[in-house]
Amino acid sequence: MGLIPDFILDVITVNTFWSILFICHALLAVALLGALSHQAMSVLMPVRVAAGPGGFVTRFRAVQGAGYATAVCVLWIITFFFGAWIYTKYRMYVRIPIEQEGFWKTQGVFELKEHLASIGLGLLPIYWYLWKNARDPQYDSPRKWLTVTLAGFCWFMFLTGHIVNNVRGFGS
Amino acid sequence: MSTTTQTPAAASKPSASSLAQSATFRTFATVFALAAPIIYVICEMRNWPLFTYHPGTNRLDLGWSAAVRDQGPAMHWYGWTATMLIGSAILGGIATMLPENVTKRIPLSLVWILPLAAVPVLIYALRFFWRWE
Repeated sequence: MGLIPDFILDVITVNTFWSILFICHALLAVALLGALSHQAMSVLMPVRVAAGPGGFVTRFRAVQGAGYATAVCVLWIITFFFGAWIYTKYRMYVRIPIEQEGFWKTQGVFELKEHLASIGLGLLPIYWYLWKNARDPQYDSPRKWLTVTLAGFCWFMFLTGHIVNNVRGFGS
Repeated sequence: MSTTTQTPAAASKPSASSLAQSATFRTFATVFALAAPIIYVICEMRNWPLFTYHPGTNRLDLGWSAAVRDQGPAMHWYGWTATMLIGSAILGGIATMLPENVTKRIPLSLVWILPLAAVPVLIYALRFFWRWE
């Protein structure tokens, strides 16, 4: 496999390498999903300063959203990069059996996932800019709905990744 | 209700030298975000990848190319994404040369409306997969 540096294969097997890469991809996706979910809740249901202490939901949405912006961009890019790397393996050893089994809709939602990941990549610069100007009220609406859009994309991609892994993941 | 984030000044106040205060970067990022879903959808539907990757043989072909018999599949997604990123960057760069009174008129709401509008188009483009068999 030319996409794995030789020095790594001196230490671990090919399968172990792909498993580690996939786990890293999945863990980064969890972090990204958490960050975007907190942010989306913080703009959809902002906590008033005078509201006082609240329950779990209040604390979930009471985050300082601006502090997540750079982390979300970095996480999206790294998760995208790892996913794009794994995709070579997926195309050869996962997609073909999925098609042979006739799981067309599973394959379809995965195709949509890759489209959304790419489009999301194109939204990151303006997303970052809007959050870095979070004190400017003229950006309230686009920041809010762009964050919700990215969070929705992320949830879809996360769940689709789980579904595809359930269809043909580890040990298949 | 305003959703202006109530953050400590240090968390969100851009520094004087940062991109976050640059009107040029704002224009670039806005046009980049508007162009990305449009270019991506066009590339996907017209099948215009910048390059094609053949994972079975690790070969790259410029533009679109079909899978080679007995050499595994051809992958175009990388090429669509590259086309989108380069095309959006070029358009964003061109937009920065426009006067600010023009670029300020670009509705910022389009940065989330266009990506959402792209979703049903992409679902339609994937109609081959929505079947029961």
